Amino acid sequence: MKVRNIRSVTQHLGFLILMYGGRFGVRLGSALPCFACPFVPGCGGYCYLMGLQGYIGFGMGALTGVGLMTALSWFALFVFLVAMLGKLWCGWICPFGLVQDWLSALRGKLGVRERQITQRMKRRMAMVKYGLLAYIAILPPLATLGFLHEDFYLPFCDICPGKSLLPLFAGETRYLALNFDNGVSLGFSIALLVITGIMLVGMFFKDRFFCIFCPLLALIHILKPLTALRLFKLPEACTGCGTCRRVCPMDIEDVYRQRTSPDVQTDECLDCAKCAESCPADGAIGLKFLKFKLFLSSRSYAADSRKKS
Amino acid sequence: MTSGVTNARNERIFKKTSDQISSETARVLETLRSRADYTREFDYFLELAESGMTPEAAETRTGLTTIKLLCVQAPLELIHAAGFHPFKVFCGSNAACNLASRGLPALACPMLRSVIGAAKLAQSSSESPWVLPTTCDWVVKFPEMLAISDVAGEPDSIRVHWLELPHLKDRDDGQRRWIEEIYNFKKFLTSDGRRIKRAALAESVAIYRRAWQALVRLSDLRREGRLSSIWFMLMTGVFFCDSPQNWTTAAERAANSQMTPALRGAKVFLAGSPIFFPNFKIPFLLEEAGLEVVSDDLCSSERIFPGSVACGDESEFGLMSAMSQSYHQGCVCPTFIDNDRRINNILGRMKGAGFKGVVFHVLKGCHPYDLESFGIETKLKDRGLKFIRLETDYSGEDSRNLNTRLEAFRQTIRED
Repeated sequence: MKVRNIRSVTQHLGFLILMYGGRFGVRLGSALPCFACPFVPGCGGYCYLMGLQGYIGFGMGALTGVGLMTALSWFALFVFLVAMLGKLWCGWICPFGLVQDWLSALRGKLGVRERQITQRMKRRMAMVKYGLLAYIAILPPLATLGFLHEDFYLPFCDICPGKSLLPLFAGETRYLALNFDNGVSLGFSIALLVITGIMLVGMFFKDRFFCIFCPLLALIHILKPLTALRLFKLPEACTGCGTCRRVCPMDIEDVYRQRTSPDVQTDECLDCAKCAESCPADGAIGLKFLKFKLFLSSRSYAADSRKKS
Repeated sequence: MTSGVTNARNERIFKKTSDQISSETARVLETLRSRADYTREFDYFLELAESGMTPEAAETRTGLTTIKLLCVQAPLELIHAAGFHPFKVFCGSNAACNLASRGLPALACPMLRSVIGAAKLAQSSSESPWVLPTTCDWVVKFPEMLAISDVAGEPDSIRVHWLELPHLKDRDDGQRRWIEEIYNFKKFLTSDGRRIKRAALAESVAIYRRAWQALVRLSDLRREGRLSSIWFMLMTGVFFCDSPQNWTTAAERAANSQMTPALRGAKVFLAGSPIFFPNFKIPFLLEEAGLEVVSDDLCSSERIFPGSVACGDESEFGLMSAMSQSYHQGCVCPTFIDNDRRINNILGRMKGAGFKGVVFHVLKGCHPYDLESFGIETKLKDRGLKFIRLETDYSGEDSRNLNTRLEAFRQTIRED
């Protein structure tokens, strides 16, 4: 079975379990390192960002006791899940990632050109995700401590396009409506609609556009030293054909440019392994778990895997 | 009176050369057919080689007007999508080479001399244009060489579309300029009003993808020791003589057949200047010396095209851009400045295949390969690998000498 088929199967399975699993008794907790949106009725688990916002607020408010212990245990589980699978959560499991891939496939079918973002611009845009992490870390405690309106308790969820789009797959449309409860809610709902619109357009014209800004990707990347699963490169095997750069949904250049170190796991990498699959140089790019090589590029594989692509 | 004598003399020379070329071709074909590892699956390739490897013959077979190419940087998929047949013009005949030598620099590229000699003889009727990437000096001066040799009138009268090749592959501005060149090339191909639609481009990419898959299969078979290098070189050598679909079907059929190489020897990698039919001097000498080529990076063999075009964006721009990058960055021609990763290609192909030696073939006059051979020699020897550099031309005069050197080389590999 080809890597891309395995990836497709896990993505669709991940989508089904995380979006509808709750209806069949699946409860995977609140520490999932992917966009398993809690606003989807009957979802099978929650995105850790929601827990993080809640527990940062709760932890700062209570500081001691069961609340803090719960927060720490969910954090420990999150770290464990990231340590085990790294960014496989992004490239192989994330339901919102799959939605973006569907939009890209639609663009491909329509023959619409993918928009290019210059590397310089992309580097600037990529900083937004770290800004969003700071936003998540600062606002909820301020809301808990009473410095901000209580609707700032989940400030990221309130502007996350996952909240407006993913529930649609469960027939839930209310997050696309304006919320007139109060000024803050209305502001957030307007912001959500605007961001959703921008993201929808962006995701149609650019592969994995939202992932450029995803704070969860930034958080997973911060834990990179702990991750067992890594993308790597053997620079001495690279022939410099540039295929890795062309097939990368995030347009990462580092894999192509790297000439000395095996470490090519950049903060934007999703571990989708498309570069390794397409690389025609024997043993140049691979995916490994600890020291065990799970996949190594080869010319024969690259030739064979493109048969029906 | 003088003109009449000259014409008669020329006619005699042409007749003699033509006979010599026929005899060279027949000799090689006969040798191939009498090999122990000959199977019926090779007939298609032998027939292509036998029935004339000219643009006119390819036009008859494919029913399409050819675009004559030198080098490997013009995207074949684009030419095919425009409804033309890409034909890489080549010739390995020593007689044709000698015919063209008069009036040309003594150390002019033997391959181009041979092409010019063959063109002189053929009095080509094909009006199809040349597409020449600005690779080495000889290619750049090729139209002038054609004019000097009376194959064409003034250099300006030859229909040539130049692809100005940025010699720095890794630089973004170089890549941008190359994409622009490929778009200009597209304009050139469609100058008669034809259109290249995205669907045609995608189909063309798929056709060449299948051809590449067949090529990789053959290459793997050679690496496993199940296909002789001679047959591999013949198969790749006639790639442009028929439609890619027909070639692929025949190559797949050959790959599925039971093949046993006639000879087994010490495994070596062949690098350097291209080798074209019927000049199989080097492959034959290698076999005689007990050396088995299990991989190569010749632009006449494993690198006849850079591989399948892979891209994430299937739009027209995506395909065009991926195509242009594949043919630019994916090419390890020594005329590039930043070609340091070429050694990785050689080492990568050698890895795990159990061979320890590299034979570097340099055609006299092929300066880029000649120069690059020294750097590659140092890098390979630093890694404990054996290296031999063979500088030769199309004539058979140095065969005995080369054979002695190759046998000594085989000994050093065995002793290692």
